[in-house]
Amino acid sequence: MSSEEEILKRFAAIEQAREFYIIGKKVSRVDALDAVLGRPMYTGDLVTGDFLFVKAVRSPYAHALIKGIDISRALKQRGIEAVITHRDIPGENDAGSLIPDRPLLAVDKVRHYGEAVALVVGSGIETVEEAIRLVDVEYEPLPVVKDPFEAMKPDAPRIQNRDNIVTHFKIRKGNIEEGFSKADIIVENTYKTQFMDGLPLETEVAYAFPEKDGRITCISSMQNPFDVYNKVVKILGVGPEDVRVIQAATGGGFGPKSDETPIDIAAYACLAVKKTGKPAFAVFTREEATTVQSKRHAFTIRHKTGATRDGKLVAWKSELVADTGAYISKGHLVIARATFHCTGPYEVPHVWADGYCVLTNNTIAGSTRGFGAPQAHFAAELQMDALAKKLGIDPVEIRARNILRPGSLTATSQRIDDAGLEICFGKVVETARWHQKRREYEELNRTSSRIKKGIGIALLYHGNTLGPEGEDFATVHVRIEEDGSVVVQTGLTEYGTGALTSLVIIVAEILGIPASWVRMERPDTSAVTSSGPTVASRTTVIGGRAAADAATQLRGRLAEVAAGLLGCSPDELVFKDGVVSVGGDRRRGIGFRELVSEASRRGVELRVRGYYIAPPTRWDPETGQGAPYNQYTFGALVSEVEVDTETGLVVVKRMTAAYDAGRVINPLGLLAVIEGGSIQGLGHALTEEIIHENGVVVNPSLHGYIIPTASEAPEWIEPIAVESPGRIGAFGAKAMGEIPVVLPMASIANAVAHAIGVFIRETPLKPERVLKAIREAERKER
Amino acid sequence: MPRKKRVDRRKPRAKAAPPTAQLAKINVKVNGVQYSAEVEPRMLLVHFIRDVLGLTGTHVGCDTGNCGACTVIMDGKSVKSCNIFAVQADGAEILTVEGLARDGELHPVQQAFWEHHGLQCGFCTPGMLMQAYWLLTQNPSPTEEDVRRGLSGNLCRCTGYQKIVEAVLAAAEQMRGQQQEVR
Ligand code: FES
Ligand code: FES
Repeated sequence: MSSEEEILKRFAAIEQAREFYIIGKKVSRVDALDAVLGRPMYTGDLVTGDFLFVKAVRSPYAHALIKGIDISRALKQRGIEAVITHRDIPGENDAGSLIPDRPLLAVDKVRHYGEAVALVVGSGIETVEEAIRLVDVEYEPLPVVKDPFEAMKPDAPRIQNRDNIVTHFKIRKGNIEEGFSKADIIVENTYKTQFMDGLPLETEVAYAFPEKDGRITCISSMQNPFDVYNKVVKILGVGPEDVRVIQAATGGGFGPKSDETPIDIAAYACLAVKKTGKPAFAVFTREEATTVQSKRHAFTIRHKTGATRDGKLVAWKSELVADTGAYISKGHLVIARATFHCTGPYEVPHVWADGYCVLTNNTIAGSTRGFGAPQAHFAAELQMDALAKKLGIDPVEIRARNILRPGSLTATSQRIDDAGLEICFGKVVETARWHQKRREYEELNRTSSRIKKGIGIALLYHGNTLGPEGEDFATVHVRIEEDGSVVVQTGLTEYGTGALTSLVIIVAEILGIPASWVRMERPDTSAVTSSGPTVASRTTVIGGRAAADAATQLRGRLAEVAAGLLGCSPDELVFKDGVVSVGGDRRRGIGFRELVSEASRRGVELRVRGYYIAPPTRWDPETGQGAPYNQYTFGALVSEVEVDTETGLVVVKRMTAAYDAGRVINPLGLLAVIEGGSIQGLGHALTEEIIHENGVVVNPSLHGYIIPTASEAPEWIEPIAVESPGRIGAFGAKAMGEIPVVLPMASIANAVAHAIGVFIRETPLKPERVLKAIREAERKER
Repeated sequence: MPRKKRVDRRKPRAKAAPPTAQLAKINVKVNGVQYSAEVEPRMLLVHFIRDVLGLTGTHVGCDTGNCGACTVIMDGKSVKSCNIFAVQADGAEILTVEGLARDGELHPVQQAFWEHHGLQCGFCTPGMLMQAYWLLTQNPSPTEEDVRRGLSGNLCRCTGYQKIVEAVLAAAEQMRGQQQEVR
């Protein structure tokens, strides 16, 4: 058997193995120890020696023409080394992360509040801040387009030199009129979600310095070093070898750090270096970050849903409108994902959906963990409960009659081939003791006048990884050092989810060595090739395949040497516990390290590049019909709440969450994202809201934008992992990083409706809103 | 465990802004080391700790005193070091995350965060550790509720706090055990 065949065979065997050596065992995050010791690891910790500060002059208007910029007063300030406007950009003034519609520094018009107009470079942050006030920008305010419905009117002022409607995304399945003609009941509602901020705790930060050879090195906090690198090269107008971007430890990602602002901050620092020849440091204040960071899109969703008397869905018509702010960012993709998922994880024979992504003068909305899915599920899941209520059946019942099962067709007519949803659904209903609690709470609410209790459910499907959103590939470099230690390096990044630990686990599994022998190196654009973006929960699923590819190649090379030494054929070898042996018999074996040194002595190259690209996905742009994703993650969430009917305060007491991870590679990482995502989603449901008034963000601070603290977190989140292997992910893994943030809004809102007897169809469920709903319901009753 | 070398960092690490006001001289003891430095009156304690002393374990997550990433212990009390001017710390004794481990051994709070996975991105962790440390000096046998309330001035965006609370309760137990051994 050739070594290539051995690789393929081993790979298949490993993929199908029931018993794993390391996969599924608890392995700690690689760099957690540094964090508890407070060692320098984040960008701001790595700054040394003398350096300059760079900070942006930002627009106080949401929409205005720029009539002139006078920098002379600022330049005269002591300690100021440069003031940079669009005229001073040596390369292209383009900072759009995907679509080139966004200048780094505004030219003749500002389109949102806080848009950058100039950069001030000087020594000492206070000096720079003072000089910022001395940059005289003459603005001529324009009418502000505050909401997407206004922007969609034919006579609305244009935000950019294009139509305000960026995308009209369609789904046409079956025959919608025919569908509604079969309906015994029809429910129609409008749902609204708010602008939200992913809010990584570390704000955008970059430190750049000139190297002796003239190259500029930039250390920064981000999800996608290659996106940042490519843009910075363009903005500086230099050659690809003149810039190097390194990702420092990154204090949270959640989407914003994959979008616009990481490009901005790196470009600010690099431009300052280019202009002055000195090291430069740029960091956003919280206020800046909350203002300009890409938000979660505010959505308005209108649903009209028809069902038969026995609760079978027959037709679903939707209109989704997403406010993407002044620049597109990833809005055109977010609307696609939201529209694809607009019916929730249910089988509906006739679907008609129109999704619109619209420009306004609000701040930019782009990638945020979940990417349109939380909004889509919120509306769909409340719609399901409304149907159940109208039919007089339990919410669990209506779901049981309609969920996607093996063989079901989604809204895009894609056939589902696994039972992940059924399993998750069954598990949460049982574990949360749904039926018993439902009855108990209803009884209790009849007698308790002030505190009402409720229990709500929501189900999820989530098309995996990029699908229609881009080329779904990854590269992972793995090398074995002479001492037998293994080094993994990739352009995929870690920002807290532990995803890279999964790559370590996969490499260790295939080479049969303890995970502690494997180490990760920091992403560095000069050391690795692009691995695509670290978004869409891709690292374990797609990156894992590339890591497996690399490890399998290495294993094949080592197997050939070992087979010669042990006098057997390569496919008889077992790699386990750091020993390579014939059929697992350790007496006929060789230590992994010994084998490595033998292989290197023989000149065997132990440095490989692993690669994987997911099969392209296809769908018809006119009807949305086809298979937009390679596989789906499923999930179910039950939330239990208490509502104080005098204050309107909602407290989430308990959450029971089941997610189909396909294959659990890294159990601790999985628990971590379930727990963290649930709480982030809880914040989205109850308190978090970026408020624009006439385009101006009025609450860009942590006391204006309220995220959950330890006291608001539920007493318990019960995580349940389900393994229903996916078609493409490494070892069957499915996307998980974003998933847990998707359902809390829906599940909590349904629980609140159960408690107070009325649906609140607008998020967040802040006390005023809840109180108002209660009062209105009381009035109607009277 | 490798221990960070105790260098006396009397020399400011980064050049501060050009003077616009009279510099003030301060003396502070940080993690057992006495420092004296001249600082601008408007310099925040957190910037003094990070930029002048080079102790970058103390983080900055906001500009409004809400996140707690900058929490340190000053004269036995937990404070948000972004809410205090460096000059106000004159004569004080300060403990930062770098001073928690002693003689190459993790403090029980650090050990517990590490073992119970009380962190993801780690950015909030130093502040959480200091707040937890202080909490346990005030109340060696906290209930879960006490811990949640005690940590509610420290924000974490990655975890759901569950593992953090678990870690603090575990540290409390560990520390009570150690106390008994001493007796
Ligand atoms: S930095 Fe946020 S409270 Fe001090
Ligand atoms: S671990 Fe990231 S903020 Fe707490």
